[in-house]
Amino acid sequence: MSPWRQVALLAKRDFTERATSRPFLITMSLLVVAILAVGPIVNLLSGDGAEVTEIGLQGTEPPGIEQELQAQAQILEMEIDVVRYPDRATADTALTDGEAAVVLVDGTTIVFHTDESSRLVALVGGAVTTAVKTSTLSDFGLSDSEVAAVVEPVPLDVVTLEVADPQEDAKSVAAFVGTLVLYISILMFGQFVAMGTVEEKQNRVVEVILARVRPWQVLVGKVVGIGLLGLLQLALLGGAAYITAQLADLSDIDLAEIGLPIIAGVFFWFVLGYTFYAFLYAAVGSTVSRQEDLQGAMMLPIILILPGYFIALIAAESPDALLPTFASMFPPWAPFVMPVRIAAGVAQPWEIAIAVVGTGLAAAALVWIGSRVYAGAVLRTGGRVKLREAWRSAGE
Amino acid sequence: MLELVDLYKRFGDVVALNGAGFTVQRGRILGFLGPNGAGKTTAMRVVFGLVRPDSGSVQWAGSPVGAAERLHFGYMPEERGLYPKMKVRDQLVHFSRLSGLSKSEADHAVDHWLGELGLSDRGDSKLEDLSHGNQQRVQLAAALAPNPDLLILDEPFAGLDPIGVASLSGTLQSLASGGVTIVFSSHQLDLVEDVCEDVAIINEGRVVLTGSLDDIRNRSTKRRLTVDVNGEPWVPKDAGTTVVDQQGRSHCIVDGDAPISDLLTEASAAGTVNTFMFEPPRLTDLFREAVES
Repeated sequence: MSPWRQVALLAKRDFTERATSRPFLITMSLLVVAILAVGPIVNLLSGDGAEVTEIGLQGTEPPGIEQELQAQAQILEMEIDVVRYPDRATADTALTDGEAAVVLVDGTTIVFHTDESSRLVALVGGAVTTAVKTSTLSDFGLSDSEVAAVVEPVPLDVVTLEVADPQEDAKSVAAFVGTLVLYISILMFGQFVAMGTVEEKQNRVVEVILARVRPWQVLVGKVVGIGLLGLLQLALLGGAAYITAQLADLSDIDLAEIGLPIIAGVFFWFVLGYTFYAFLYAAVGSTVSRQEDLQGAMMLPIILILPGYFIALIAAESPDALLPTFASMFPPWAPFVMPVRIAAGVAQPWEIAIAVVGTGLAAAALVWIGSRVYAGAVLRTGGRVKLREAWRSAGE
Repeated sequence: MLELVDLYKRFGDVVALNGAGFTVQRGRILGFLGPNGAGKTTAMRVVFGLVRPDSGSVQWAGSPVGAAERLHFGYMPEERGLYPKMKVRDQLVHFSRLSGLSKSEADHAVDHWLGELGLSDRGDSKLEDLSHGNQQRVQLAAALAPNPDLLILDEPFAGLDPIGVASLSGTLQSLASGGVTIVFSSHQLDLVEDVCEDVAIINEGRVVLTGSLDDIRNRSTKRRLTVDVNGEPWVPKDAGTTVVDQQGRSHCIVDGDAPISDLLTEASAAGTVNTFMFEPPRLTDLFREAVES
């Protein structure tokens, strides 16, 4: 039987036992349902399709005002309903209740509830001015077409010097969410590896296992099995997020352009970052004999991970600064910082290459170091085994 | 044939194995005996590569033991341990497959041993839901299910009730007659005497006595003398004898060439002799002698 076949069996056990465990199934279902619910909730809050603004009229009206209001609304790309109120009291109630956004009283006063909107002032003001001008010009005896020619707004071209990326906001939000998901996933599944290692040591099953396979096989099997579970979780959550984005009708976000590269990036950097940290978690996990002692032992990986996450937040603001640039190529932090710099479009190809190759090599070194510490510590029960002691005793 | 040759292992200042070695022939049962801390568990762990000896070797069928050979060995460690939350059948199949059995072979072997050990109806239970005795049986099944050629059991009888002891003894004997080589450690010397053909006694990291039980009994220069006079244990006044109290009955260990007729005459002078037994030493006598000398 080949060693890799045994690794596959070990990985399969770790994957299956956890994937079918009640806590995992419950947590996953809740998360997926919560994410799927976000889409419909967003739709519900934003109402059906475009928003309709209600504009009220009360008292004397300039002639043709309703037609002019609609014309102005069209220019401002708004949808409005015009409502008439019999008296001032009714109009005020409509404003207070939030039914009407604004009321034009006697063609001379624009009334808001609390905050005035310059957009609505422009709309109503423009409509009143045009309506009054139209009627005045008609009184002068101008024909309808002459009047129209005078009051018609002069079309102006609007130009900007630089074209802003319409997706920029969406991109930075997606990169932020991606980093957060990456950070949580690596932390969570790394801890699963440490907990699984201690569990096997605590209930002594490890001696039964190690009578059949080598320590490195146990370690690789566990890291692979739990890592696959991590990928499954990312796929489920990513899929749910994709579906919810479709349901929410976020038509201004191009999913193919933003969503897919971010999801692919999270997967890629998860594999690298998780591999690096999982072997570290396994090594520290093997040094303690009871779950209660694990918190202290897990400080080491957490101390390494945390700065990576915070530098990633800095990188989101200033991706070209010295610290993020350096950190994006430093193996323990590259998985968190480099994706942000790539999303910001500032990472050079050679920088990405250093990050990928460096983290890959560091992960490979940790497979070796982790296996040796594990071999030296996993059969020693009682108090916590010092990392250096474990390293040395495995060499004896 | 399993051979442990000249094993040395030191943990810091503690010498765990100090030239330990013994041999077990195929299809034989060897009782591996020794006081606590004598090196039994370390020697067993060396066989499975769990402890790397500083020097010495382990040979199976004449060649050094490696990962491939170990897949044909079954091991029940002293510290019992399996997955508490995993179903009994699932974990037995898992361990059998790790030992190289195919899925169908593993299913078949696990069914067989669950039946053999009276656990057929517990296959789908989680281990933690089983009684202590049944968990012990599952642990044994984990060692047996891969159909090993060599079985090494660390204290397999510890914690078993008399019925469990009898059924495990029967299982081991039928395995041995089927050609499986068995090594087990135990502190229950009477039991070892019943089950084993061979013994190895280890003390302070060194095997001090090994061979077939009959041989080492006969080789011993000592004899066990049990005399009952007037319903009371009687001991000769000879200073060269050792009195051993065991379960309220006294007997003594005398030299093999002790003058039996003189002893009988001396006992008769003390009263009515109900029992006078002069026999080869029991395992417990040999154990004491080997460990205390």
